[in-house]
Amino acid sequence: MIRMMMVGLALLAPAAWAGEGAALPHKDWGFEGVRATWDKDELYRGYTVATQVCMACHSFKYVSHRDLMRVGFTESEVQTLAKALNMDMNAKLKTGMDDATAKETFGKVPPDLSLMNRARPGGADYTYALMHGYSDDSATIVKYLPGGVPQGAYFNTYYPGHAIAMANPLSGPGLVTYHDGKEATVDQMAHDVSVFMQWTAEPERMDRQAWGVYVLIYLFIFTVLAYLTKRVIWKDVKKH
Amino acid sequence: MSSHFTPPQPVENDIRNFGRWFEDRLPIASFIGDHLGKYPTPRNLNYMWNFGSLAGIALILQIITGLFLAMHYKGDIHLAFDSVQTIMRDIEWGWVIRNMHMVGASFFFIVVYIHIGRGLYFGSYKSPREVLWGLGIVIFLLMMATAFMGYVLPWGQMSYWGATVITNLLSVIPFVGPDIVIWLWGGYSVGDPTLSRFYAIHFVLPFVIVGVVILHIWALHLHKSNNPLGIDLKKADDYIPFHPYYTIKDIFGLGVYLIPFTFMVFFAPDYLGHPDNYIPANPLVTPAHIVPEWYFLPFYAILRAIPIKELGVLAMFGSILILFVLPWLDRSPVRSARFRPLYKQLFWLFVVNFLILGWVGAKPAEGMYVTIAQICTALYFGFFALLPVLAKVEKPRPLPATL
Repeated sequence: MIRMMMVGLALLAPAAWAGEGAALPHKDWGFEGVRATWDKDELYRGYTVATQVCMACHSFKYVSHRDLMRVGFTESEVQTLAKALNMDMNAKLKTGMDDATAKETFGKVPPDLSLMNRARPGGADYTYALMHGYSDDSATIVKYLPGGVPQGAYFNTYYPGHAIAMANPLSGPGLVTYHDGKEATVDQMAHDVSVFMQWTAEPERMDRQAWGVYVLIYLFIFTVLAYLTKRVIWKDVKKH
Repeated sequence: MSSHFTPPQPVENDIRNFGRWFEDRLPIASFIGDHLGKYPTPRNLNYMWNFGSLAGIALILQIITGLFLAMHYKGDIHLAFDSVQTIMRDIEWGWVIRNMHMVGASFFFIVVYIHIGRGLYFGSYKSPREVLWGLGIVIFLLMMATAFMGYVLPWGQMSYWGATVITNLLSVIPFVGPDIVIWLWGGYSVGDPTLSRFYAIHFVLPFVIVGVVILHIWALHLHKSNNPLGIDLKKADDYIPFHPYYTIKDIFGLGVYLIPFTFMVFFAPDYLGHPDNYIPANPLVTPAHIVPEWYFLPFYAILRAIPIKELGVLAMFGSILILFVLPWLDRSPVRSARFRPLYKQLFWLFVVNFLILGWVGAKPAEGMYVTIAQICTALYFGFFALLPVLAKVEKPRPLPATL
């Protein structure tokens, strides 16, 4: 009963608008625009960051190694990657940390990341900005959080409310070694993992856009023909 | 009594002439021919009259895509969210079907809003079409119920909290309200029983809508369509057969409709949705702001405009129910706004006001937004209050006698 009334109140009373994160800068992503595509190397690097950094605590429970074959990985490549993690290629990408340990360590189970880029306004821009949003600079912190950062939280410019429970996962360069020898700067890792997370959130994206072009061309021709037919059929109808 | 009765006439029993034989036993071909092919339609209908058949097509598309979704969806709080991801990732073409259903719901509402607006502008609700109009409002209400329950099914954060907020509105009913809410939930909060029953109801309501649509078309075909001049057409050559004239016009209109629809399905499926619904439902975490789907926003704004909860709920339901009595509020004998200079302006004011209500419904209920919502709510009801007076002061322009 009390909860029902609380909800009712929340509905009608002027709701406290939770503190939003700072405006997100927009980045040009390879998966956007007319020439959109999944870049295999980008995804491979993102996969490296995801499995070696994120998966220490987070899962990607809707994605398996086999799914990587949809973006140009060969079966043997995928086999090798899975074996390196002691995983079956059909198994979902789950963290090695069990829920009980996670709860004990962090107070709650860290959220699954598969859909994160779809679950946050801004998508990849948000993830990328979040990786750059950590700061120890007291002037910046005071600007956003005059009361200081709460116990057990970390300051982040782009996190709604600016106090995030996750410590900076990309704390410095060189956390991973890339397959293509690219230098693993913080910016590079942030970029690559954002692309990887976009793929895990909407693996159908490229199929969708490719089909969309054909369907639209078809419909355009259909509509023009329908219009011309309509004109012919209506020719004999008296104008009013 | 019996004097009006003509006994059944004997018919041929020659099954080799199958068409005739079947027609003698069930005259469905002539029924379809009379109501689709030969149905007399005013020849001066403009493109605003395309939206009726478009709404019908949108409904059928929702039913077909929904049927395929139902083959893979699981109406269980532990499985629902994951089953949607299975549809998106593992089911062949699942993402097309789900995107069509999701975008289709929004586009159905766009079409129906335009359809209602057309009726409002050209006075299609006036005698003898009051029942036709009322059945349309019943369809609109059923659509809202269906869409609301459908949005709960993916079991994301907005599903859960939207369901919680909206079902709670019924708690304002005096004495029995809170018990009704518990009965509706099947428990003490939105939960598994709620999801299962919403799924069942969401599946069956569209077929109820089909039934009311049939009544809607029945009522339409009795007095035929209204027309942009709003005058009664008495001459036979004011009408043309539905086929081929309006079939081809509707097919062209369908093409125009499907282009933006397809664009959304393939390039921006999430545009009209809320990102929070990709977070699994969590009763312990309330989203920063709970917003309904865009097509409910004008009514949500009316609900929140009034600081007394009971009155807010009344105003929200009242804002739709008042449409039922519109034919009696508008006393003017002239149907079409083309010949009603004052009503025409009032109509456009009403449309703009409705759009502002939708915009403010998405904003937090605080500060200036509350004031705007209150002014717009007053204007919304003011429109209906002015109608009886309008008929007295307005001087309509002369009506043409014929087309």
